[in-house]
Amino acid sequence: MIDRLANRGVAHAYVRSRDQLGRIPFWARVIAILAVVGGAVLLNGDDYVTAVAVTVATYAMLGLGLNIVVGYAGLLDLGYAAFFAIGAYTSSLLMTEAHWNFFATLPLAVLFTGTAGAILGYPTLRLRSDYLAIVTLGFGEMTRITFNNWDYAGGPNGILQIPWPNFFGYELNTQGDFLIVGLVLLAVAMIFARNLDHSRLGRGWVAIREDEFAAESVGVPSLRLKLFAYVMGGMWGGLAGAFFATRIGAIDPTSFTFQLSVLVLIVIVLGGTGSLPGVLVGALVVVAMPEVLREFADRRLLIFAVLLIGMMLLRPQGLWPRIRRKPKPFYGLQEEESEDVADRILREHQVQMEERERRHAAAGRQVPQKGEALLEIEGLVQQFGGLRAVDNVTFEVRRGEIFSIIGPNGGGKTTLFNCITGVQKPKRGKIRFDGRSVVGLRPHVIVSRGIGRTFQGIRLFKNMAVFENVMVGLYPRHRTMTWQTMLHTPGERKDEVRTLQESRRWLGFVGLESVAGRLATELSYADQRRVEIARALAAHPHLVLFDEPAAGMNPTEKLELVSIIRKIRDLGITVVLIDHDMSLVMRVSDRIAVLDHGVLIALGKPAEIQQNPAVIEAYLGREEDLLEDKAQGA
Amino acid sequence: MGAFLQYTVIGLTVGSFYALVALGYTIVYGIIRLINFAQGDLSMVGAFLGWTLLVSFGFQRLPLYLALIIAFVVPMLGTAAVNIVILQFAYKPLLRKSLLAILITALGMSLLLQNTAELIWGPSIQAYPPNLLPSTGFFMGPVHVTYVQLALVFVSLLLMGGMVLFVQGTTVGTAMRALAVDHDAARLMGINVDGIIRLAFVLGAMLAAASGVMLGLYYVQIQFTMGFLLGLRAFTAAVLGGIGNIPGAMAGGMLIGLLESYTTGYLSGSWKDVIVFGVLITVLIVKPTGLFGERVAERM
Repeated sequence: MIDRLANRGVAHAYVRSRDQLGRIPFWARVIAILAVVGGAVLLNGDDYVTAVAVTVATYAMLGLGLNIVVGYAGLLDLGYAAFFAIGAYTSSLLMTEAHWNFFATLPLAVLFTGTAGAILGYPTLRLRSDYLAIVTLGFGEMTRITFNNWDYAGGPNGILQIPWPNFFGYELNTQGDFLIVGLVLLAVAMIFARNLDHSRLGRGWVAIREDEFAAESVGVPSLRLKLFAYVMGGMWGGLAGAFFATRIGAIDPTSFTFQLSVLVLIVIVLGGTGSLPGVLVGALVVVAMPEVLREFADRRLLIFAVLLIGMMLLRPQGLWPRIRRKPKPFYGLQEEESEDVADRILREHQVQMEERERRHAAAGRQVPQKGEALLEIEGLVQQFGGLRAVDNVTFEVRRGEIFSIIGPNGGGKTTLFNCITGVQKPKRGKIRFDGRSVVGLRPHVIVSRGIGRTFQGIRLFKNMAVFENVMVGLYPRHRTMTWQTMLHTPGERKDEVRTLQESRRWLGFVGLESVAGRLATELSYADQRRVEIARALAAHPHLVLFDEPAAGMNPTEKLELVSIIRKIRDLGITVVLIDHDMSLVMRVSDRIAVLDHGVLIALGKPAEIQQNPAVIEAYLGREEDLLEDKAQGA
Repeated sequence: MGAFLQYTVIGLTVGSFYALVALGYTIVYGIIRLINFAQGDLSMVGAFLGWTLLVSFGFQRLPLYLALIIAFVVPMLGTAAVNIVILQFAYKPLLRKSLLAILITALGMSLLLQNTAELIWGPSIQAYPPNLLPSTGFFMGPVHVTYVQLALVFVSLLLMGGMVLFVQGTTVGTAMRALAVDHDAARLMGINVDGIIRLAFVLGAMLAAASGVMLGLYYVQIQFTMGFLLGLRAFTAAVLGGIGNIPGAMAGGMLIGLLESYTTGYLSGSWKDVIVFGVLITVLIVKPTGLFGERVAERM
């Protein structure tokens, strides 16, 4: 008993000290830890240990860069050595041929590798992930062979006699000097990487990794974000490459083989993909282990191969896994009264509306007024092989109404949604929103035009907390630049706080604020659907498409859903609803369209639809059919 | 013109080796959507097993046909066993997990095979018995064709033909094709899914091993690193032909062989891999389904 109490005391102390540690900013922690480690190594004074530490720092920099690509964005890059090589060659050539100072070459090395990342990424990012891995492998080998055949860069001999870096007249030429430079660069790389991770960009990456299709459909520009990941990853590699070149003093193509790419991959897999301290641990293991276990140094690749496979099988999260948990996400935020929340949302939304009207007026267009057509669909056809899923459908949704689309299974309802949201391109026909065509736009563009959606099968980002899911929905509304993100500027911070606050409001709106810190998968089915609604609303759409929001809900939950839908309409948002629950549809809708086998068979007020013989036939079959069935049955 | 035809003969010979490995990629990929990075290294294992039998065990002194049968059959079986072990221990537990995890594992497996081979057979180059096969040939106009080239291409075509017949013509082959479309549906139809996956790994490994032995016989020199580039070229061939597509893999292999041979002949050997990778990237960007169309859909 006493033992347990004591243990609890220790646990409390641990939690408390961890909380206090958590309040120290990340950059301060990084600098403190690196300074202590660097100081210890320098005081030790052993040149060999210092040299190993410099190599660890180099690998850690590489690992940080690859971590952005593999860990954050979830893209397997097997040619990462190419960026290392491009950085090293850029810096070395500038130093030997143009006699630049090392520190002056750094921006160019980073710029070149970033560009290389864009060149590699732009055409290839549409590929599926396994092909992408092979393409990056090919890119890595091509880069190496090109350097090998490029006479200006010394061909197979490489570049020799790269000068030492000169820091305001002081020549850096001992391992100790390099350790200091390396740790400074590493600190910068770590702080930037962490800032990226904890930003809108980082959330976008995680969302893409979790479910690219859903991310794109709630407004995350997935291709651009993946390209960013390549560019950023390349830049980190370039930094490490330049540092490596000046430190070694000579480079040649054999320094940049596929084996290096694999080693860096091992660094992050061992440490834990996506985890920053993990990268340091991984670099330490990969570099220092062969030094410590000298007798196995020849067999190090064998050991690494076994480690790699073993980690994947037994501990895929790595030695120091990435933790993304915030049990109290809104801690420290300004408290808001519940009536206040609704008011604020309304006000916020009105601001959005006004802004839209201004934008439209500036472009010489008119915003549809209440009761006028907001979404117009004209002669829409979508065909899969011989099957016409949507056959020449024409209707309009008026601003401010709740419009339902019903019909038997396979009627083409979800296909219609997919066409409107840009997931599929219709074969023929027009879709106009706000008077402008949206056919052929990518889903995230359509979201930013003002159409939000939920999915028939729930597509939340499973390993993100509820509030983070909603924050992803806010992605299209913020304009923070990447450099602001990296520097964690006050403007970016303000934007983040606003994002957090707004996500809290939307969760309050659907009644889920109390579970904001839970993982999305821990919620009940009905609650998950409500999170999806909050995520769609967070982008401040003018039109929301709900695909079977009531599926799997019990009667009480359905009642709540009805009130949420009405509240959404009261904000001035137009709602289009697909559902099979007739009583819900009849109760909530202003107008209803009925689709059967892709054809629009009826359109009108709920009462009219209930009386419509064509609708009754579609649902129940004709009377003769029933009689025939009976006859056959007997 | 003479040079061109000569390069064509060389290209087709080498291409037939690539085609065999590519076939292995395609069969495994078609069924479990895994790029088995270790495919090329399995070929290396086959080559070394053949070398062990012929040189270390001295089977090269047996009558030629007997030596060849042993040097092909035993490595094929041995490599198949290796691949089954890999499947059971490394890939099976990950099949339902993320694509990234299984790809990284496959990469680790490739590394493991290479380094284990280095441990067993040493880091240096080993040589197949150079005079085992006659180096004679005949002239077709200006083009010199050796009997070895003919024989190797013939054996490759035989293996590939057998493969096509097996997959298209037998019940088990039909089950494999069903599995390529939908695992769950196949399972519900009473197909032994695990058994078919094992079979795909056995077939893939056997083809790879055969190509490894052929490479040894043709080039004489083998080394533990030979599988890496071989695997990449073969993968390129599989993608070029449309992954999952068996005739496509064969045609892709031949095309890559030809391309490589022409590049080496007309440009320089040092650029050949740049050209091969260039082709790979271009095909993937311009026509990701390959020249002959792929036979699989992406796992969602």
